[in-house]
Parts: sequence; structure tokens; C-alpha cells
Amino acid sequence: MGLIRVENLRKVYRVDQEKIVALNRINLTVASGEVCCILGTSGSGKSTLLNIMAGLEKPSKGRVMIDDVEVTALSEKDLALFRQKNIGFVFQSYNLMPTLSAIENVAMPLMFRGISKDRRTREAVKMLRAVRLGNRLLHRPTQMSGGQQQRVGIARAFVAHPKIIFADEPTGNLDTKTTREVMEIMVGMAREYHETLILVTHDQDIARYADRIVTIVDGNIQSDHTNESVFPAQREKVQELTTVSGGKTE
Amino acid sequence: MKWTDMIAMSLSSLFKRKVRTLLTVAGVVIGTCAIVVMLSFGIGIKKTTDETMQSMGDLTVIQIENYNSSPDAEPLNDAMLERIRALPGVQTLTPMFDADFSAFQIRSGKYVYGGSVTGVYMDALSEFGYEVEEGKLPEGTVEEGAVLFGRDALYNFYNSKKNNNNMIYPEPDATGKIPDPYVNPMKDKLELVLQKTDENNKKTVKPVKLKALGILAQDWSKSPSPGYSVFMDVKYVRALTEQYNKLNNIKVDKSKKFQYSSVVVKALDIKSVEPVQDAIKALGFQTYSMDSMRESMEAQTRTIQMILGGLGAISLLVAALGITNTMIMSIYERTREIGVMKVLGCVIGNIRTMFLIEAGMIGFIGGVAGIAISYLLSFLLNTLAANGGGVMGLGGAGGQISIIPAWLALGALVFSTMVGLVSGFSPANRAVKISALTAIRQE
Repeated sequence: MGLIRVENLRKVYRVDQEKIVALNRINLTVASGEVCCILGTSGSGKSTLLNIMAGLEKPSKGRVMIDDVEVTALSEKDLALFRQKNIGFVFQSYNLMPTLSAIENVAMPLMFRGISKDRRTREAVKMLRAVRLGNRLLHRPTQMSGGQQQRVGIARAFVAHPKIIFADEPTGNLDTKTTREVMEIMVGMAREYHETLILVTHDQDIARYADRIVTIVDGNIQSDHTNESVFPAQREKVQELTTVSGGKTE
Repeated sequence: MKWTDMIAMSLSSLFKRKVRTLLTVAGVVIGTCAIVVMLSFGIGIKKTTDETMQSMGDLTVIQIENYNSSPDAEPLNDAMLERIRALPGVQTLTPMFDADFSAFQIRSGKYVYGGSVTGVYMDALSEFGYEVEEGKLPEGTVEEGAVLFGRDALYNFYNSKKNNNNMIYPEPDATGKIPDPYVNPMKDKLELVLQKTDENNKKTVKPVKLKALGILAQDWSKSPSPGYSVFMDVKYVRALTEQYNKLNNIKVDKSKKFQYSSVVVKALDIKSVEPVQDAIKALGFQTYSMDSMRESMEAQTRTIQMILGGLGAISLLVAALGITNTMIMSIYERTREIGVMKVLGCVIGNIRTMFLIEAGMIGFIGGVAGIAISYLLSFLLNTLAANGGGVMGLGGAGGQISIIPAWLALGALVFSTMVGLVSGFSPANRAVKISALTAIRQE
């Protein structure tokens, strides 16, 4: 059984009289611990898929099950609690709180959970060290480079050790060198903590970091295959995981 | 989320936007100040008025004047007085019966008393608040010859052996001392003699011995004032008057029933004054009390207070609009932040609470500062008034023109915080409704 099960998902936007089909009929199962890339061009529906999986948007038809909870049926309040416990986010534009320090930004998901300040600061410092920002603990986002900000974002996504981390074009605003750095950290952490990472991108190069690449074209899954080009160092792990998770279609 | 964290978040976002927060708080400060200072004037005026009234007379005393009573009213005699005494809310009462000057004379040796004599219920005096300098006030029934002298009434004794320069006045002499009167009623013998209008009248009347019970302290707020009068039991004074009439063969019109011309009634408390007054009026008599005067003055004070308070309320309303505006601005600016918080799993209730805390805090801080400044203003105004001899003609005898009691300060604080919360309510709900998705898409 997969951790995430997307069943017959369909999303239609209505713009005036016109219907725009963003997602046609998506079926997808993602196993626990998988690093899965959803690859597609702009307008392919990949972001819509991510948003629906994360419970930020409601589908027109179909449903999303995460850990046997029907996410698409939850109320807004329950969704907030569900995200609090199970989901981490990495955004393209980082979305850090401009008025908070790196520590405070990273500790925020823990604060929402009601964890004491001492404990969450400790956790946040640990995460920031893990993303190699041990010397930027008290800096504000504006005092950091894009790559550093995104690393804070990654630390924030991982700090509460959620089951799933969604990353929507996490390197969209970064240069090539920083992109590599950030991707390595993010994928590395996902593997280290055995967390499921759903990566949405239009960039083939980034897709190479994933164990599995699902390509979406015009709201349909065009291809879904294990990544052959995963860097050799990660290769074994991926196969191991693939074997464990078992069911990969193609 | 923990409460402490929510408060910390709210405070930090207020602190991050210092200038705007300060300006918004300033609005609340001005509003609070306006209300508090304005109301403090009202309270000051009321207190000054009350004190003035108190010094003018006992507020619980009602006077019945009988000169203009309706023709079908029953006579204001002892029976009627007992009926009035039985009215609910009446503590005690006494007639004020002015004895006929020419009917009798009080004397002590060659010194003759030339002032007035008033017949009263002697036992009621202590309840009316009369005080003695010497001796003591009568309780229960008194002897027929008992008298109470007013302090200044003692100076009404004159030397009957001399034709001029025969009086002592209660004024400081060359040495600055007020001279003693001729007679000390507590020591000297006193007697009362009925007068004869006709020198050829053969009837003789033995003088009556009088016994002074005490000397009343001066108090001009009392009516009758103990100043120039001698108090005696009203029944005895009336009996003496009758004897005098008999002695001089004066015929009294029997068809005309005896009436007191003036009666004073003491109500149990200020609250009872009005109902007692109404009840006496219903019996057909005219009444007068300090309380009726106070009512009109209070109505006036209330009007002033309402106008002043209204001005304050308007400025606080403007401040409330300021808070709402600031909060809406703040939410617009932070749409993205709110969206991110939602995506990261912050529950809706917490978001609303944080914004409400923020708005409430603006009100609270504004309230605290406003009250502090109000106290300062109040102090300055009072100092100014005391030195400048009264601003706006208020605060006459060095009184405070502005008083801020604790309840006003506390009430203003609660009120300003409430204004903050109410102003923040709709913006906070707006924040809650922000769609997480749209917020994070916003570039």
C-alpha cells in the first residue's frame, strides 16, 4: 500500500463560460520514503496536482488518501491540523517570515504544534546545522542569499519530521550552482530521515535527483518510471526503497 | 499554539511596524485622554457642587412653610406633626415656634435677654445634628424651665440699669480676645418673667426659674440657626404665651385653630428626601429642601458631563476607525505570511486570536498611556486652577476641578481594550478567510 494514493483525480477550472481541464484523470500511488518528481511544463497541471495532494485545493472529482486519511474530504480546520502533523512544504519563493530570525522561521511549525520555546529552538538549531547554516542562526531572511533562504526553508519543512514533504519548484529562483547544493541537501535529508518527498518541477536536471519521475502533460500522466540516471551514490538506496515499496507501475 | 507564543507573535508584529503602531496607539491615547479628562471634569464639578451644598445645609432636612398652604389643608398642629413623623423615611421633626417678643423676658439679675426665643421639640435637636460647646443636649422629656442658649445669643443680654453702652459684642477687643458675655447661663441664675402691658394691672406673677442645659455651638448651616436664638420646649413656650394672654386679658379668636408656621423635618437619608417631600406636599403643605436645589444642579452637571463625555466618545470612535484601518493594512501586507502560516499548519482559530491580540494590544497600550497622560493633565489643571483662582469659574475654594477615581481609570482601560478588540474583529475574520493557496501564489 502506498502512503499517498491519488484516485481518479480530476480538476476543472471554470473561467467565465470556458472549462479548463487542469487534471484529467490522475491515478498515482507514492510509497513511503520515495523521492518522487512530478515533471511537467508550465500549464501541465503539475502544481494543481501538488496542491490537491497537500489539501490546499479541492478536486472536482476523485480523491486523495494519505496514510488512509481522505485528505480531500477534510474540513479546513482538520486540514490545518493534518498539515501540522503530516506535511512539510518547500516553496519556490521560500516564503520565510521577513520579521523572524532563521531559528524562529524554522521553529514555526513546532510553535503551531504547541511545543515549548526551549525545545523548538533546540530542534531548529539542529536542523539549521544540518542544512549548514549553523553560522546564520539569528539572521533575518533579508540578510541571507537566495540559497541560504531556501536552506532555511528546507530546515523548516523537515524540522517537525512530517511524513511527506512537498516541494514546488524549490530551485526556481536559484542559479545552477546553488540549485545543486540545495537539491543535494534536500534529497539527502529526505533519504536520511526516510521521508517521502514530492518534488514538482519543469526542470529535467532536477528530476534526476528523484527515484521516480512522473511526467504530466495536459493533465494526464504521460510516463511514470524509475529514474535511471539517479546519481550512483544514491542508486543502491533507491533500488532498496523501490523493492520495499514494491508497486511501481510502468 | 500556546497563548504565550500567540502573544509574542502579536507583539513582535506590532513592534516591527513601530511607526504605524505608534500612530495608531496615539489615536487611542487621545481618545482615552479626551474621555477620561472630560469625565473627570464632570466628577470634579459634581463633587464641588456636593461640597458646596453640604456647607450650605443638611441635605436631608426638609422645611415646611405654612404661610401659603391650601385653605382646605388640615392645620399644621401637633397632631399633624405626629402624622408627618409617621411617614416612611422620616427620622424626626420639630416645629419652630417663635415666641412673642413682648410676652416675656429672660433675665439674670440686672441683665436682660433681648433676643428671640424659639419653641422646639428639645429631644429632636441631637438628631438634627446640633452640638453643644458646654453642657449637653436633652434626651427624652425635659423639665419645663430647660433652655439651650446659642453661643452668640449670649451677647443679646444687656444691662438694664444703663441706657447706653449696655451691651457686649462678640468681636475681638484691642488685645485680640473676644470678650465674655455678661451672663454665663451655666453658672448664673436665670429667670423668666411674664410681661404686663398695663402698668396698673394688679395681678402678680412669680418669675419662673430657668435652667440652662447647655450652650449650642455655632452652625450657620442649621435652620433654625443656634446663633441668635434660645431654644425652649415648644409646649412650655405655648403655655407661657397662654398665661401671658390671660394675664393681660387678651382674647384669642377660638375659631382660628392653632398652627405652626414653620416645621423642619429630617429624612433618614438623602434617598428618602424626595418621597417624604412628596408625601408632605400631598398633605397640602409647601416644602423646601436643599435636595430639591441639588437636583436641579445635578441635572445641570449631568448635561455638562454628557456633552464632555460625548466629545471624548467621538474622539475614541475616530481612534477605533484608526485601529480598524491599521489592522486591515497590516493584513493586506501580511496576506502572504498568513497564507504561509496556514499552509504550515497554523489552525484558523490561532490566526484570528493573534490578530485580535494585536488589535486589543493597541487599545490596551493606548489606554494605559492615555490614563497616565490623563492623570498628568488632571494634576496640571488642578494646580493651575488652585493657583489661578479657578479656571472657567470652577473649583471655587481651592477644590479640584478634575478628579479621576480608580473606577474611571479602570473603566477607561477596559473600554479602550474593548474598542481595540471590536475594531480588530472584522479584520481578524478577514485574515482567517484568506485562502492559503492564493496567498502563497501571490508574488
